[in-house]
Amino acid sequence: MAQPFLKKDDDHDDEVDYSPFLGIEKGAVLQEARVFNDPQLDPRRCSQVITKLLYLLNQGETFTKVEATEVFFAVTKLFQSRDLGLRRMVYVIIKELSPSADEVIIVTSSLMKDMTSKTDMYRANAIRVLCQITDGTLLTQIERYLKQAIVDKNPVVASAALVSGIHLLQTNPEIVKRWSNEVQEAVQSRAALVQFHALALLHQIRQNDRLAVNKLVSSLTRGSVRSPLAQCLLIRYTSQVIRESASNTQTGDRPFYDFLEGCLRHKAEMVIFEAARAITELNGVTSRELTPAITVLQLFLSSTKPVLRFAAVRTLNKVAMTHPIAVTNCNIDMESLISDQNRSIATLAITTLLKTGNESSVDRLMKQITTFMSDIADEFKIVVIEAIRSLCLKFPLKHRSLMNFLSNILREEGGFEYKKAIVDSIVILIRDIPEAKESGLLHLCEFIEDCEFTYLSTQILHFLGIEGPKTSDPSKYIRYIYNRVHLENATVRAGAVSTLAKFGAMVDSLKPRIFILLRRCLFDTDDEVRDRATLYLNTLGADGAVEDMKEFLFGSLDIPLVNLERSLKNYEPSEESFDINSVPKEVKIQPLAEKKAPGKKPTGLGGPPPGPPSTIDAYEKLLSSIPEFANFGKLFKSSAPVELTEAETEYAVNVVKHIFDGHVVFQYNCTNTIPEQLLENVTVIVDASEAEEFAEVASKPLRSLPYDSPGQTFVAFEKPEGVPAVGKFSNMLRFIVKEVDPSTGEAEDDGVEDEYQLEELEVVAADYMLKVGVSNFRNAWESMGPDCERVDEYDLGPRENLAEAVNAVINLLGMQPCEGTEVVPSNSRSHTCLLSGVYIGNVKVLVRLQFGIDGPKDVAMKLAVRSEDEAVSDAIHEIVASG
Amino acid sequence: MILAVLFANSEGNILVERFNGVPAEERLHWRSFLVKLGADNLKGVKNEELLVASHRSVYIVYTVLGDVSVYVVGKDEYDELALAEVIFVITSAVKDVCGKLPTERLFLDKYGRICLTLDEIIWKETVTFCVIANEHPFAFSSMDTAANVLPHPFS
Repeated sequence: MAQPFLKKDDDHDDEVDYSPFLGIEKGAVLQEARVFNDPQLDPRRCSQVITKLLYLLNQGETFTKVEATEVFFAVTKLFQSRDLGLRRMVYVIIKELSPSADEVIIVTSSLMKDMTSKTDMYRANAIRVLCQITDGTLLTQIERYLKQAIVDKNPVVASAALVSGIHLLQTNPEIVKRWSNEVQEAVQSRAALVQFHALALLHQIRQNDRLAVNKLVSSLTRGSVRSPLAQCLLIRYTSQVIRESASNTQTGDRPFYDFLEGCLRHKAEMVIFEAARAITELNGVTSRELTPAITVLQLFLSSTKPVLRFAAVRTLNKVAMTHPIAVTNCNIDMESLISDQNRSIATLAITTLLKTGNESSVDRLMKQITTFMSDIADEFKIVVIEAIRSLCLKFPLKHRSLMNFLSNILREEGGFEYKKAIVDSIVILIRDIPEAKESGLLHLCEFIEDCEFTYLSTQILHFLGIEGPKTSDPSKYIRYIYNRVHLENATVRAGAVSTLAKFGAMVDSLKPRIFILLRRCLFDTDDEVRDRATLYLNTLGADGAVEDMKEFLFGSLDIPLVNLERSLKNYEPSEESFDINSVPKEVKIQPLAEKKAPGKKPTGLGGPPPGPPSTIDAYEKLLSSIPEFANFGKLFKSSAPVELTEAETEYAVNVVKHIFDGHVVFQYNCTNTIPEQLLENVTVIVDASEAEEFAEVASKPLRSLPYDSPGQTFVAFEKPEGVPAVGKFSNMLRFIVKEVDPSTGEAEDDGVEDEYQLEELEVVAADYMLKVGVSNFRNAWESMGPDCERVDEYDLGPRENLAEAVNAVINLLGMQPCEGTEVVPSNSRSHTCLLSGVYIGNVKVLVRLQFGIDGPKDVAMKLAVRSEDEAVSDAIHEIVASG
Repeated sequence: MILAVLFANSEGNILVERFNGVPAEERLHWRSFLVKLGADNLKGVKNEELLVASHRSVYIVYTVLGDVSVYVVGKDEYDELALAEVIFVITSAVKDVCGKLPTERLFLDKYGRICLTLDEIIWKETVTFCVIANEHPFAFSSMDTAANVLPHPFS
C-alpha cells in the first residue's frame, strides 16, 4: 500500500492528511492484483487490493478491455478461498467490472453453486450478481432457484431475489411474469422489507392490467401492510386507481378516499405525508376532502426536521395554485418560515404566501420580502420575482408598491438571469396595467443608465421605442436614450439610434430635435451606428408616405431570422438585387419522416436532407429540379409529412403536400421494408372524385425502390389560381415487385404487378395558411386596424374541456399561436387565444379567439379576424363555420 | 429514481460516487453543483442534520457526517422524504462501519468495507427494513439489496 513519508514526531498532527490511497497508481495496483493468482491466497491482502481497485473505479479511472479482462480472470480464482469477507468483496468487484457475455461463463457455475449454498449471504449476493450479469438463456436455467429464493425464509435472500426481479423485468419480462404466485406470497411476508419489495415487483408485473391493479389495491387497503415504505407504494397505486376510475363515477363518494384519509393518522411520517399529498393531487378535489390533508401538512410546517418542513411547504405551494383559500389557514405558520435557515423552504413559503395573500396583506408581505431578498441566491430570487409578477396582475391596484419593489431590487447587485427576470416582469406589468406604464418606463430608463448587460439595454431601448412615444410626455425619455449614444458599446449605441428614430417618427414636435441628435451620430466610430443614423435621417426626412415610414420602423419582420440568414448566404451578388419576398416565411416544418439506410446514398432524385432548417429550401430545390413542376411558380407551403400507412407495414408511405398558387403537388415518400423484394416503376394512383376543383396534370413514377432505401414519387394537380380549394383523395400504390435473393442481393428478372391500398389524404383549409408568428400581437393587431375586421360567435358544442376546443380551432386554421396563448390553464372557464399567419396570396391574418365554457361543458367562441383583405377575413370565418 | 449518491471530503473532493441514469457529460455539472451546495450551506451544520434542496424537478437531501459530506439526489418517486430515508440508511451504515463519526482518514481506511456495505446496505438490530439499490423502486446504482444481519466481513 502506498505510504506517505511521515516524520515520527508529527505523525499525529498529520493524521487528517494521511490517505491510505496517497500516490495510488493504476499500473501498480494491477501488478498487485497478481496476488489473486497465488497458490496460497492471503484473504486480507486480496481484500485490500480489491479495495484499491474499487477506489480507482470510484475516482473515475477506467480499465482498458485487456486490463479489465485480466483482472476479471484473476478475481475468478478467488472463489477458491472460503473466507466470507473476501467472497463478498469478490461479488462487488465482479459487478463493477461488468464482464462481457463471453467472460460471464467463467463465473456462472461458481455463482450458481453459491446460489444454493447454506450460507445466507452467499445465496443473496450470488443471486444479485448472477441476475446483473446474466442473459435470458441462463436465466431459464436458474429460474427454479430464483422462485425458491423469493419465498426463502431469510428476508435478505428473498429481497435479493425480488429486487433482481425488478431489474430483470426490464430485459426478460416473460420470465419474471411467471413468478407471480411466489411474489404474491412474498407480499404477505412478515418481514417488512420483503413485503415492500414484493409489492413493488407485483405492481410492475401487473401494471398494464388495470383490473388486476384495482384488485391488488382493494385487497391490500383492507388488510394491514406492515412496512411504511410498502404503505407509501400502496398509497401511490391507490391514487392511480382513483385517477383512472374518476371518469366512471359521476356522483357519490370517491372510492378509496377513506383509506387515504385513514393513512393521515398512520404513525410513520412518510405515510402521513404521502397520503396528504395524494389527497391534494386528486382530480377535482373538494375543500371538504382537502381539509384533513391541509391540517396535517400545517403540523409539518412547524416540525423540527427541515425535510418535513420542505415537503409540507412544497405541497402547500402546489395546492395554493388551485385552491388558494384552502391554504390561507396555514399563513401564520408560513410567515414564520420566511426566516427559515433553509433558503429553499423560505422561498417556497414566500411564494406560497404571495399566492394566498389578499390585497390588504400585500404591503406587509412586501416589507418582509425586502429583508429576505438580500440573503438568498439569484435562483431563489427569480422564483420570488415571478410570484410577485403574478400577484401584481392579480391585484392591479397594488402596482405602485410592487413596481417600486421591483425597481429597488433592480438597482441591487445580481446576475443576468435575475436582472432579466425583473426587467421581463416590469415589461409585462407595463403592458397589462396601463396605469403602471409611465412609472415602469422611468424605472427602466434609470436602470439602463447603469446596466452592465448589453442584451438587457438593447431590449429596454427597443421597448422604450414602442411604448415611449405613446406616453403623455415622451420628451422626458430622450435624455436617457441619448446618453446611451455617448456612454455605451456599439451594440447599445445602435439600439439607441433606432429608438431615437422611432420617437422622431411618432412625435412630430420632437422631430427637429431628434434630427439634431441623429446627425451627431453620423460621426460615430462604429459602422453600424453610422449606417443606422444615415438610414433613419433619410427615412424620416423623406417626403414619402408617413404610413410607409411607420411600417418600416415599427412593422414586425415577418420572416424567421434563420430563413433570412440562409437566403442571404445563398444569394449570389448579381445585377438582380436581393428580394426579401423570396425568403420563405414558414416557421418550421417537420423533418421528413423517412429512414435513411446508413451508408447508402439516397436514390434517384436524392431525398432532401432531413432537419428543419434546410427542409423548405430542400423541398424547393427538389421540386424545381423536376421539369414537370418547374413552371408552377413559387412554392407557398409544404405540409408536414402525413402517414398513409400504419406503422410496421410492408411498405411505409407518407405524403407531403406542396401548395403552389395554381397547383398542388403530392410528394409520396415510400420505403420498402421487405429485404426479399425490389419494387420497380412505383406510382401512386390517385382518385380525385371527391376533390372536384382538382385536375391531375402530371405524375412522376419512382423507377426503383430497393429495401430500406427511401424514394419519392410525385403526383401534381391543377387547381383554380389563388383559391383555397379543398378535397379528399384516395390513394393506391402500384408497382412491379421482384424477388431478391437475400444472400446475393440480386433481383430476379421477372416481376409481378401489384397494388397496395393507402389511406385517404385530404387537402384542408389549413394547408393554405403559413404559420408566421408576430413578436408583439397587440401592436400588430392595432396597426392592422379594424377596416377588414370580421367578428362572429360560434357554438362549438359539448367538449371535454377548454384546452381541447382551443387545440381543435388552432389545428383547423393552421395558424401560429402567439405569446404562449395556446396553453390553457387547467380548470379555467374562459380563455383568449391569439393566432397569426399568412394566407395564400401573401395576406397577413391575425385572429383573436375568445372561448367560454358553461356548466354542461358547452363551449362558445367569439372569433375576431383582422387581415389585409376582407375577403380573407371572410374566408377564415367560412373555414370555422364549415369545420 | 435515485440519480446519484455522492460522498465528498471537507474540501469538496469526491470520495465515492454512484450515478444512475445520469449521462456522463452531465456528471461534472452535478459534482460541482453538489459540492458548491455543500460549501454554501453545510458550515456549522450538526452531524446528520438533513438539509434539503430542489433543483428544477430534482430533489437533493444532504448532510454532514464527521469530515465527510453525503449527498443523495433523486427525482419522481424519490422526493425529499424518500431521500431522507435513503440518506438515513446510508449514514447509519457508514457509522456502523467506522464505529464512530468518520474522519476523512478513517473513511479511506475503511474504504473497502464502505463500498461493500453500500452494496449490501447493512442493517442491524432495531432496524427492520432498508432501502436498496438500482433503479427501482427505492434504489440506486449498482448497489442493490438488502438487509444484512450477518457480521461485517472484516470484523
